[in-house]
Amino acid sequence: MNRAIARVLTSLYPRAWKDRYGAEFEVHLEAESVDISTAINVICSAVGERLFPTIGGPMDQHSSSFGTVVRLPSAFIPMAMSLTALALVLIHISVFGAAREADEGPTAHLWQILMAGQLPVLAFFAIKWLPRAPRQTLYVIALQAGAALASIAPVLFLKL
Amino acid sequence: MRSTQHVVVPKEKAVKEQYSDPPLLVLASLASGPKHGHAMIEDIAGMCGTRLGPGTLYGAIARLEQQGLIVPLPPEERRQPYRITKEGMRILGAKLATLQQFAKAGLKRLEA
Repeated sequence: MNRAIARVLTSLYPRAWKDRYGAEFEVHLEAESVDISTAINVICSAVGERLFPTIGGPMDQHSSSFGTVVRLPSAFIPMAMSLTALALVLIHISVFGAAREADEGPTAHLWQILMAGQLPVLAFFAIKWLPRAPRQTLYVIALQAGAALASIAPVLFLKL
Repeated sequence: MRSTQHVVVPKEKAVKEQYSDPPLLVLASLASGPKHGHAMIEDIAGMCGTRLGPGTLYGAIARLEQQGLIVPLPPEERRQPYRITKEGMRILGAKLATLQQFAKAGLKRLEA
């Protein structure tokens, strides 16, 4: 396998893993023949290492506190999206009032995109973190649910 | 779980049933002396016909090193050899004994 391909494949791994094994892995790949099954094997292993890190992951550093989990992008992005959606609704109410519109305007579409768009991120967060830090993950999911409900509540109660 | 996946099976051997537990295969390979990655792959292929993919091999190496079952030795010409630790030998022995017991019981049932 040529050096460039070996380097690209190695680069798929997380930084902490590369710091420890990157150089020797690259040398190992250079000695391997180029074939699709080898590339798939490396890609799958790199994805696995990113999802369940052997080294350098938060679990490896004994830092699976609530603070660490809640700061993960997949934890705070859904909350940020819900709060943005809530802010949109509040701004809309303050500018146009709480009257129901006949047609859905851009605010309604943005609200829908923000609320629906967070679902895959939420699912990813739950799948990745529930097995590893169940209690902290459940707290974060409760916060995410709270933020989502806060955003949905005015729409439901004011029948926007 | 992940460590038992991603085994690259050569086409000519695909019809045979192959044992696939990468960490155990790596430990078994290192039981005969220190080796670097490529030598481990060849040794394992010769031992049981299973050819580990590079990602699988290094996944197993990383986990075994984390568990203190293998340790790296000084590099030799850019290659990184590993050796098995005493704890690694003990775990390997225990796992192989369990497998032997299991194989014995299984074969006995087949004969019956």
